[in-house]
Amino acid sequence: MKQNIHEYLAEFEDIPGTRVYTAARARKGYWINQFAMSLMKAENRTRFKADEKAYLDEWPISDEAKEALLARDYNRLLDLGGNVYFLSKLFSTDGLSFAEAVSTMTDMSFPEYQAMMAKGGRSPEGNRSIKGGY
Amino acid sequence: MARITAGVGSSHVPLLGVAVDQGKTGDDYFGPIFKGYEWTRQWERDTAKPDVVILVYNDHASAFDANIIPTFAIGCGEHYKPADEGWGPRNVPDVAGHADLGWHIAQSLILDDFDMTIINEMDVDHGLTVPLSMMFGTPDKWPAKVVPLAVNVVTYPVPSGNRCWALGEAIARAVESFPEDLNVQIWGTGGMSHQLQGPRAGLLNREWDNMFLDMLVGDSDAVRHIPHIEYLRETGSEGIEMVMWLVMRGALGKQTKCLHRHYHIPCSNTAIGHIVLEPVT
Ligand SMILES: [Fe+2]
Repeated sequence: MKQNIHEYLAEFEDIPGTRVYTAARARKGYWINQFAMSLMKAENRTRFKADEKAYLDEWPISDEAKEALLARDYNRLLDLGGNVYFLSKLFSTDGLSFAEAVSTMTDMSFPEYQAMMAKGGRSPEGNRSIKGGY
Repeated sequence: MARITAGVGSSHVPLLGVAVDQGKTGDDYFGPIFKGYEWTRQWERDTAKPDVVILVYNDHASAFDANIIPTFAIGCGEHYKPADEGWGPRNVPDVAGHADLGWHIAQSLILDDFDMTIINEMDVDHGLTVPLSMMFGTPDKWPAKVVPLAVNVVTYPVPSGNRCWALGEAIARAVESFPEDLNVQIWGTGGMSHQLQGPRAGLLNREWDNMFLDMLVGDSDAVRHIPHIEYLRETGSEGIEMVMWLVMRGALGKQTKCLHRHYHIPCSNTAIGHIVLEPVT
């Protein structure tokens, strides 16, 4: 084996403000992501919009995750194993662009986030490592 | 004999497809991005004229859901439709596959120790159709057939850069043993720096991206040994897509020459990078 899997995974926890979509997260968030995937069908989007809670109750998703989905709390959904490519089906159902939805996970408003991107984006300086602080 | 004549690297940001589909490619925001692809569109049309493109990309929860996660999957079908990614499919031509070449590569790779997943039917999302728009513009019919090669860059562990490079080398061997005379290009897509999640979202790294582009040119293979953690720290969680460019680079052999290069920040959340490479024999 080239790299020990435990060491490989442990390094990911040292990145500030980032939840790497590991197998553990994929397992935890499986039904959150499959629910989101179901929104690719127009008829499901209609049913979901008509009664979000009732639609969510059809899935084996925890109450905590249902709450986070209803609140569109994307950082919490990442912690619960959601992945942004799946969750994008939810925010496109809401009519949000990728950039606007992504901005809700930062400490900025959407206009502030757009201004940051126009100026060259978030600098990697100080954002690479929690322990190393570089 | 079939041969790989060139490699192309490009970002595949969905917003670029929106710009093409809504006729905004000349406006203030998108103009500078699309200008950097003009050289390539002309070169593809007038000089390079590939018969087939092996298009390395990743599916973004469109054809594959969370259920089945193939590390490397190759399309062996006759045709593919643009996927409905939640706002209706892009109004672009269907993609013609090259089933003979696809199956030949799939079989050759498996004999060469790459245990590929084979796909007969699937819809293709922006990861595949945006690069076609960037390189070929808006024709009624795509000028080349496509062999899609989907890489898992979403669920970790994703394949190492080294493995992607080695896959590229094996693809080149497979193409060279295909009896028909075909002009084949290989495209690596995705990246460059971007992070679409968490409080660190919006990270971009111009310096690192350009170092990566530099490393694709010439006779060094140092780039294949960059570990995942470096992509993640330096280029954001979605910057990992750049490992797909190494499948392209690996397929071009020992040495490459750069024909064209372009870099622009930002497009939505993402840094746009583009390079055209030729193998030096
Ligand atoms: Fe992508």
